[in-house]
Amino acid sequence: MTSAGLSRRRFLRNASLAGLGAVGSGSFLAACATSANTGPVKQAAGAVTVQSNLSSPEAKKAIEALAKAFGAKGGATATVNTVASETFRTQLPSYLTAATPPDTYTWYPGSLLSGYARKGLLLDVGDVWQTMGDYSAAFRALSGDGAGHQVFVPTSYYWWGFFYRKSNFAKWGVRPPTNWTEFLALCETVKGKGIAPIGLGAGGTTPWTASAWFDYLNIRINGAPFHRELLAGKRRFDDPRVKKIFDPWRQALPYFDPNGTAIAFQDATTVLLQGRTGMVLTGTFFADAAPKDALGDLDFFQFPILDPAVPVAEEGPTDGFFASARTPHVAEVKEWFKYVATAEAQELYIKNSSGTVLPTNPTAKDNGTPLVQKGRKMLADAKEITQFFNRDSSDALQPTADAALIRFIQKPTELDSILSDWQTAAQKVWQS
Amino acid sequence: MAVLTADRPKTAARAPKRPRRFSPVLLAFVLVPLVVEGFWVFWPALQGFYLALTNWDGVSAPTFVGAGNFAEMFSDDIFKTAALDTVIWLVLFGGLSAVGGLALATLLQKERRGVGFYRAALFTPVVFSLVATSLIWQVSYQPDGVVNKVLGAVGLGSWQHAWLADPKTALYAVLVPALWRQLGYVMVLYLAGLKGIDPALYEAAKLDGATAWQQFRNVTWPQLRSVNSVVLSVIIIDSLRSFDVIWSMTKGGPYHSSEVLSTYMYATAFQSLRLGYASALAVVIFVLAFGVIVTYLVRAFREDS
Repeated sequence: MTSAGLSRRRFLRNASLAGLGAVGSGSFLAACATSANTGPVKQAAGAVTVQSNLSSPEAKKAIEALAKAFGAKGGATATVNTVASETFRTQLPSYLTAATPPDTYTWYPGSLLSGYARKGLLLDVGDVWQTMGDYSAAFRALSGDGAGHQVFVPTSYYWWGFFYRKSNFAKWGVRPPTNWTEFLALCETVKGKGIAPIGLGAGGTTPWTASAWFDYLNIRINGAPFHRELLAGKRRFDDPRVKKIFDPWRQALPYFDPNGTAIAFQDATTVLLQGRTGMVLTGTFFADAAPKDALGDLDFFQFPILDPAVPVAEEGPTDGFFASARTPHVAEVKEWFKYVATAEAQELYIKNSSGTVLPTNPTAKDNGTPLVQKGRKMLADAKEITQFFNRDSSDALQPTADAALIRFIQKPTELDSILSDWQTAAQKVWQS
Repeated sequence: MAVLTADRPKTAARAPKRPRRFSPVLLAFVLVPLVVEGFWVFWPALQGFYLALTNWDGVSAPTFVGAGNFAEMFSDDIFKTAALDTVIWLVLFGGLSAVGGLALATLLQKERRGVGFYRAALFTPVVFSLVATSLIWQVSYQPDGVVNKVLGAVGLGSWQHAWLADPKTALYAVLVPALWRQLGYVMVLYLAGLKGIDPALYEAAKLDGATAWQQFRNVTWPQLRSVNSVVLSVIIIDSLRSFDVIWSMTKGGPYHSSEVLSTYMYATAFQSLRLGYASALAVVIFVLAFGVIVTYLVRAFREDS
């Protein structure tokens, strides 16, 4: 029993997780056998292990190209370890508390990051930030732990909007709206053509797409600061100000695809591309699933302004890396971080991925298509940037939003009980 | 008495042989599995019981809260929904798979031409992983999927439905693939049981003029007693751990309408990161499964002896 193979602390954790499975399921041995295999990965000597949840083919290819280029520079090397997203998320606490953890992880800034940082599990990378040049203050603030340490290196971000096919809008004779009234009029016209105007894709295992609507209505009506306070547990979901945002949503509901809560987000993308829905409020990641010939026909418009007095905020979720405080390869990890923060590395990543993400390095070029230029400008013009529901709150709070919002879409008349149930469920998450 | 005392020297004479019975190899064969089992099964399970008495986020040290987690269940509406759904699932999944499996086995027990094909066909779903099965069914349940198309084709267009998205039908829609898979398994268990019945019993029954129903009631059913206890244990355990099929189809949604205890436990543990409360749920599931099975088996074996 080598010390690297089975430290007591790690064993305790795995064993107790296994115990949870063992007590719950009838198949004791099966539960233990699987849990026993989910410990941290073996370390290649000297190489930085990059634990990655980027499991879609294009993103996986891109991060592997990045690691290869890093190794080719001479100096430290990196090995990428791709893990299915759901597994990655549930195993993250085990990874980070292990005695020999993987060195660095793909993740995003938000409450989970600061939570781990407060527990001392993340590596302080302040000296990496010293070398990163003029990254915007917003990214710097986003990567902090709230106590003056930098624990995160952002590498890419993307935007959300109403995506549609240009050819279909031309066919239906409609133009992107600039305010809510025009938006509803657009929906009415599209509906008149026998097309469901708004696709959703909150069925199956992707109910979280409905949160985009909640986020946008809240930042348009109550503003980004209120939104963040609400998601941080400083406001209540049954607050009258929260209740107010469901009024415009209710106006838009008749234009939602009736199958919106029945089909998953990937299918909603297909339906949009086939022209059976008019538009979908989504992030650029949906382009990963779009055929290349459809990409040129795609365009988007900004979520309409509801109250001109509220400073415009947009969702601009950021991705990047953090590292375990217990990594034995501190110097190598920092070398990796310095590399991924460079314009060169971010351009390499964008070239190898589907190309719809934006680089965080201010001197790095995006892929230059009009769509990407437009998205970049929209985020640059925004007064405030929010992340997304689960990033501004936590992954633990997301299921409470899923239950509440899907119920609202299906039964809008039950709003009062929906919001009070949501508050109850959210309180349990915040208190634990 | 005399016999006993006469015997004693014999036992004493055998005594030197005893060490051979506990030879190191034999000891190893008993103790090593015991240690492994204790290490990987009993101890983690005990840890699970301990965690049920704590609040734990998976990262910080657990804090002891006594029976607090169990007390919380009484005011937890989602727990009540999940418990009720588990009972519905137990009755429908367990009941239908037992009755259906027995019916199929009786139907397919006689050796006829082509009967092997039907047996194989009904057993095939058991071979597939439940996750793969549920993905296929998920596609069929789509608004424009096979199920709705068939309903439209046979003139039942008004029954067309977003099966997995409607809280009224989600649980039952998920039940069908689970049942589809379980039926073949239970059928095979019963087939094995039916094969073990002495044909002479049926001949005697026929000579006595028993009808088919009387043969079943008075010969088949009593003879299947031991198979029944196996089937009962299997379906109770399987229905309490029915997790994969629900998780991959609905994740317990929409808004907890297809939530059972196992999915609620998983969501609480790994989505909400409330591992203490999740362990308490696990303990409830354990007690349910263990309680029901032990009660039944104890009774069954008592009747046997």
